[in-house]
Amino acid sequence: MRPFVAILRWEVRYYLRRISTWVYFAIFFAMAFFFMLAAAGAWPDINFALGSGGKVLANAPFALASIIPVLSLFGVSITAALAGNALYKDYETHADPLFYTTPVSKAAFLGGRFMGTLFVNALVTTGIGIGAFAATVSPWVQADKLGPFRAMSYLQPYFGVVLPNLVLTAAIFFALVALTRQMLPNYVGGALLLIGYLLAGSLLADIDDKRLAGLIDPFGLRAQSALTQYWSIAEKNSRLVPISGVLLANRLIWLGVAGAIFVAAYLRFRFAHSLSDTASTRPSDVEPVGAGEAVVGDELIAPVRTTALPATTQRFDVAARWVQFRSVFSRSFWRIVRSRYFGAIVGGGLLYLIVAARAAGKLFGTNTWPVTYQMEGVLSGSFGVFILVITAFYSGELVWAERDVKLNQIYDATPIATWVTFLAKLAALAGVILTLLGVTMVAGIVTQAVQGYFQFEIPLYLQALVGVRLIEYLLIAVLAMTIHVVINHKYLGHLLVILFYIGLGLLSSFGFEHGLYQYGSDSGISYSDMNGWGPYVAPFVWWKLYWGVIATLLLIAADLLWVRGEETTANARLELARRRFVGPIRSATAGVGLAIVGLGGFIFYNTTILNTYRSSKADRHIRVERERLYKRFEHAPQPRITAITVQVDLYPSRGDAVITGQYVLRNKTSAPIDSIHLAMDEDLEIRRLDYDRPSKRVLVDRPRDYIIDRLDRPLAPGDSLVMRFSLGRIKHGFPNEIREVAVAGNGTFLENISFMPEIGYDSRAEIQDEETRKKQHLPPRERMRPPTDSSTWSTNYISRDADWLTYDATVSTDLDQLAITSGYLQREWTANGRRYFHYKMDAPILNLWAFQSARYAVRRDKWRNVDIEIDYHPTHAYNVDRMIDAVKKSLDYYSTNFAPYQYHLLRIVEFPRYAAFAQSLPNTIPFSESIGFIARVEDPDDVDYPFYVTAHEVAHQWWAHQLVGADAQGSTMLSETLAQYSALMVMEKEFGPANMRKFLEYELNSYLTGRGAERRKEVPLELVENQPYIHYNKGSLVMYAMRDYIGEARMNRAIRGVLDATKFRGPPYPTSLQLVDSLRVATPDSLKYLIADLFENITLYELKTDSVVANPAPGGRYAVDLYVTAKKLRADSLGKETEQAMSDRIDIGVFAKAPAKRDPTIDDKVGVPLYLEKHTIKSGAQTIRVVVDQKPYRAGIDPMHKLIDRITTDNTVGVRDRSLAVTPAKKPPR
Amino acid sequence: MDLRIEHLSKTYGNGTRALNDVSLTIPRGMFGLLGPNGAGKSTLMRILATLQEADSGSARLGDIDVLRDKDSVRRTLGYLPQEFGLYPKVTAEDLLDHFAVLKGITNGDERRRIVDALFEQTNLQNARRQQLGAYSGGMRQRFGIAVALLGKPGLIIVDEPTAGLDPAERVRFLNLLAELGENAVVILSTHIVGDVSDLCSRMAIIDRGEIRLEAEPSTAIGDLQGKIWQRAVDRAQLAEFQRTHSVISTKLAGGKTVVRVHADAPPGPEFEPANATLEDVYFAALRRTPAAV
Repeated sequence: MRPFVAILRWEVRYYLRRISTWVYFAIFFAMAFFFMLAAAGAWPDINFALGSGGKVLANAPFALASIIPVLSLFGVSITAALAGNALYKDYETHADPLFYTTPVSKAAFLGGRFMGTLFVNALVTTGIGIGAFAATVSPWVQADKLGPFRAMSYLQPYFGVVLPNLVLTAAIFFALVALTRQMLPNYVGGALLLIGYLLAGSLLADIDDKRLAGLIDPFGLRAQSALTQYWSIAEKNSRLVPISGVLLANRLIWLGVAGAIFVAAYLRFRFAHSLSDTASTRPSDVEPVGAGEAVVGDELIAPVRTTALPATTQRFDVAARWVQFRSVFSRSFWRIVRSRYFGAIVGGGLLYLIVAARAAGKLFGTNTWPVTYQMEGVLSGSFGVFILVITAFYSGELVWAERDVKLNQIYDATPIATWVTFLAKLAALAGVILTLLGVTMVAGIVTQAVQGYFQFEIPLYLQALVGVRLIEYLLIAVLAMTIHVVINHKYLGHLLVILFYIGLGLLSSFGFEHGLYQYGSDSGISYSDMNGWGPYVAPFVWWKLYWGVIATLLLIAADLLWVRGEETTANARLELARRRFVGPIRSATAGVGLAIVGLGGFIFYNTTILNTYRSSKADRHIRVERERLYKRFEHAPQPRITAITVQVDLYPSRGDAVITGQYVLRNKTSAPIDSIHLAMDEDLEIRRLDYDRPSKRVLVDRPRDYIIDRLDRPLAPGDSLVMRFSLGRIKHGFPNEIREVAVAGNGTFLENISFMPEIGYDSRAEIQDEETRKKQHLPPRERMRPPTDSSTWSTNYISRDADWLTYDATVSTDLDQLAITSGYLQREWTANGRRYFHYKMDAPILNLWAFQSARYAVRRDKWRNVDIEIDYHPTHAYNVDRMIDAVKKSLDYYSTNFAPYQYHLLRIVEFPRYAAFAQSLPNTIPFSESIGFIARVEDPDDVDYPFYVTAHEVAHQWWAHQLVGADAQGSTMLSETLAQYSALMVMEKEFGPANMRKFLEYELNSYLTGRGAERRKEVPLELVENQPYIHYNKGSLVMYAMRDYIGEARMNRAIRGVLDATKFRGPPYPTSLQLVDSLRVATPDSLKYLIADLFENITLYELKTDSVVANPAPGGRYAVDLYVTAKKLRADSLGKETEQAMSDRIDIGVFAKAPAKRDPTIDDKVGVPLYLEKHTIKSGAQTIRVVVDQKPYRAGIDPMHKLIDRITTDNTVGVRDRSLAVTPAKKPPR
Repeated sequence: MDLRIEHLSKTYGNGTRALNDVSLTIPRGMFGLLGPNGAGKSTLMRILATLQEADSGSARLGDIDVLRDKDSVRRTLGYLPQEFGLYPKVTAEDLLDHFAVLKGITNGDERRRIVDALFEQTNLQNARRQQLGAYSGGMRQRFGIAVALLGKPGLIIVDEPTAGLDPAERVRFLNLLAELGENAVVILSTHIVGDVSDLCSRMAIIDRGEIRLEAEPSTAIGDLQGKIWQRAVDRAQLAEFQRTHSVISTKLAGGKTVVRVHADAPPGPEFEPANATLEDVYFAALRRTPAAV
């Protein structure tokens, strides 16, 4: 038998006979099995899936192509073990001389071993596919979540991702051991692979580098997701991920790398003796000269030299323990930090940090100022994985340090106490973590300085890194070390630590949501420049104390089970542990136990008794019951609010708010109303709730947010009554999870919907998700009703229980804060150490308003008769001028083109970053700290998103606060899409048409990605069901294209028409259909097909320019021939596409090269327009001839990307200049 | 202070009987534990060095219960295991200092002095600043004994220390050991008879977990004096001889096969009387073990 085959067979047999191999298989099997069970609905409460979910089947090709590779990634540590061990077992056992002195060739030896381990690795990873499959045929899955079995959908991920990955990782680990003959570099290799993977992930976030990211990801996952990023639900369920394009390129590249690595190892490998595990660079067989004896002969003969050794005192008291602790600590710490491998990992991590820091806080690819809290957040978020990996790895190394060099017997026989050794090593690990956090801080400061920002706020770094992160990592370090001590098997220990990390993350999905179960958890922590650490601090401390005490218990367990000596069997260790459990340890354990109970009890009391805690299951249950009990009242006649008078007393430092006020409720129906139904959050204290006439409270269901008051005498149609209330929104203790910080120490943002009583049953609170409804036996429910349903016209979609109402509000707050709400300030005064503000609106508004209060800085300006005010946190002045400018320009455009602004005041008011949005309330725009105030817009290429968001929000003063849509499908088109369009117009005027392309590209990407993530169904724009990717992103594209086709004047006139007819009007409210009709009227007949394409259907284009050839024409001109292909597709709600015959007017453009000097009016990606006109384009291939005056550089179809096309890179190509060409022109495709 | 071992037994998980009712009394001075590979020497050493548990029996070092009160044993223990490694990148000086701390010598000055003295005693002064990865086998053994000697131990256990050393190193090492016997119980476990005969005042022979002989070497040799006979034989006759006589060893001398026989009277005409050696004692003790060889 050939030696290669013999070695291969022996290797495979060796591993097949080891239990560890089958353990690995079982681990893969189990992971995949449970994953698939969860994805296929085996546990009704768990909604956890990777790649599937919603309408995407659990065993869809796309889902399997996500699950299988990701799970195989966890097996990198297994591959490291198996592939490394292929050669290492020889060195470990010192059997290598035996093998290397046989006549086997290098090729046969290395090849056989490598192929053997590759085979075994592949075999072990089949556990994933088999486990997933086993789950699909098990009795616990839900049939409707699974499609038919397709062998290829299991095989494709293996051939496309897993097996090539295996070849690469096995080659790396195999080569590492072949060259270094140690196992340690294996770990480093694993860590560096992880780095590359994370780097690619970070780059993918920046849209321009997608292809690059796809290529540099060694595991192919990014490449795969680049290929499938825009797949619709239908595609995900039916299409196999093709091994083509960037994925194929990636696989070939990395297989090539694997081959190169193997060849390099092969060439450098020698069948020679190496200096085994004490890798030293000097030969150690020869004793260095003079390193021992003065005279050799004398030593051999002269027997005894009785030198008395100096006396020493051995001490075993506390002081001695401290000296020993320091000694073990410093040696362990420096041994780690000084090693080359640590340097390599940290170096790689720093590289990654730099890349991640670049991407910090980008929105539309624009930077924010690198304020410290954000920098720290990004760095800790990205470096956090490293720290966890390093903690896991070195916890094992520390526990095994003496055993790895075989010094353990000598060490264990010394009188050092076990706990001193253990704690000193733990301290060393903590020291390593602290070092890494220090590196993080330095990286942060350097990045900030490089970006020109010098407010380092070092105390904040220290608070965040040491006060928050260090504690979290320490808890993990204790856990990791304890696992390693208990498990006493290095690789298994590492695996278990990793499984623990993952398991911790999954606990919630399995119903263990309360923080008391989740090791290391807390109520949340977030830093805001406005509000500092705010209300998070106290709960954080309590939680960490609790976990600290539990960690102490772990420490005690580790001390008891620490392996000292040669007894490693479980029984022996338990017996030894029993014997060690005496005296001080016993009392310590008792003390710790008491502390756990005490702290745990205190936390329990706060989170479940002082505050309402519900698991997701219980929460769902409540919602189901609410629907079951009260939905029947949905159409019961209810009065509507016509006036609100309210007084709010804010107590920012306590987090409390007291609300007193009244509603005027009017019966606008034609029937008498005998009872009032109210929805009120159960945590609100109702101190008073009554009416100006007799009534009786017949139902109080606080948990289900429902109250019914019956009036003694029914309210006649047209009549009104007054409802008076006094409510307390009081903070008690701390909840399990701090979900909102509405009343904050500095930066209160209290929205009316969060505390005001609502009238009538609101179906929006019902469970929306189809699957959940089915599991709860609820009838199916449409997300929204069609606009043709006239019953929807009686309510607007913003405030269900009111039309337009009068608003009068008084708000009080701390003396040093400014309180703001919608309206005009009537009076301001101080009393009782508090500051009062009285606001009043001069015209009716929608029932959408809020209170804000903080220590603001105020900037004022004016546009015509409108006062403009920006209220902001004093250190966030970066974009205030820009915002004022945007307000002025927006007011200008909108007043000119749509209607006059209805107020003479417009305020933009900052609130803390706990939420990241901006909103338009009547004459007030709350604007989050993190969304525009710290944006950094310096590069003219960047999208000026503070400007954009401001323009959008100002537009809402028209599109929502003048014209508001009915509560039906398409309502958000009237508000969000029109706001997008309005903002686009202002932006185009400000920045020029050339700069719109980049913004629209982001919109296109968001739309396509969004539709791929759709869980239920996509709908055409005019029927949008509040889906952001449609009403924002598709809306932008559609309206911009429409304007391009029919002209801005016609567009605005059509919009104005709808506005004039419906603004400030109560029911019947307008629908999107009216806007579409208005646009249709404004569109010339030849273009009316656009209405159907853009608004009434989901239309996608595939426009491609195959080639462009230019020939010289008389008069120094050029005849340009464009060979283009076009296709129009209509998609259904799941994304299934059918081709439509097309004869559409589409831009054909020819461009000259942009000048070298940057010109902001020219889009330099495309060039100087020589020709840009619409042509009639048919389905299929066609040629278009155009004559231009100058030398063309680039040309194509729809070069400005006005139409929705999944591939934007093929619209234009470089022009082939025939006048210079030697090669024949490319023939157009048939 | 002496070491009393009584009825110590240990069986490993896979059924191997490592020690079977071992009892020994070991006074101060050099005690040699002699036995073939796999006899149970290292197991016994490890149990005494607090690294392993016994199934039954007891061991007392003076007042200290060796099996239960491990901490007290470690405070007066010096242990040189059969196989050990060292941190390759650490200097000898550094590691010896660290072990001094581990042994409770917390005073910096004292530590410096004892480290200096130990390097001198083991003749490693010129190599003290080198990294341990560069040490040869003999140097490592001497370093190991330096570690064991820290803190003036009352119980010194040296497990197979000369295996793998060249003759010069072996002599050096034994010279070192010889100085130790004064004030401590020193147990030297080995399969090299010469180590015991050169150094030890008392010894025991152990085989297959059982003590075959416990005596002073000179006494044991004396008991065999006059009862050892030897003659040269042909290879072919060897099997015959082994059946008919109690052959305790077979050697090659000058190309011929020489057998030594244990008998009270000359076993045959060509037999010459031979001077009994400790080796004879050893082989004779082993031969008394029943079961196949």
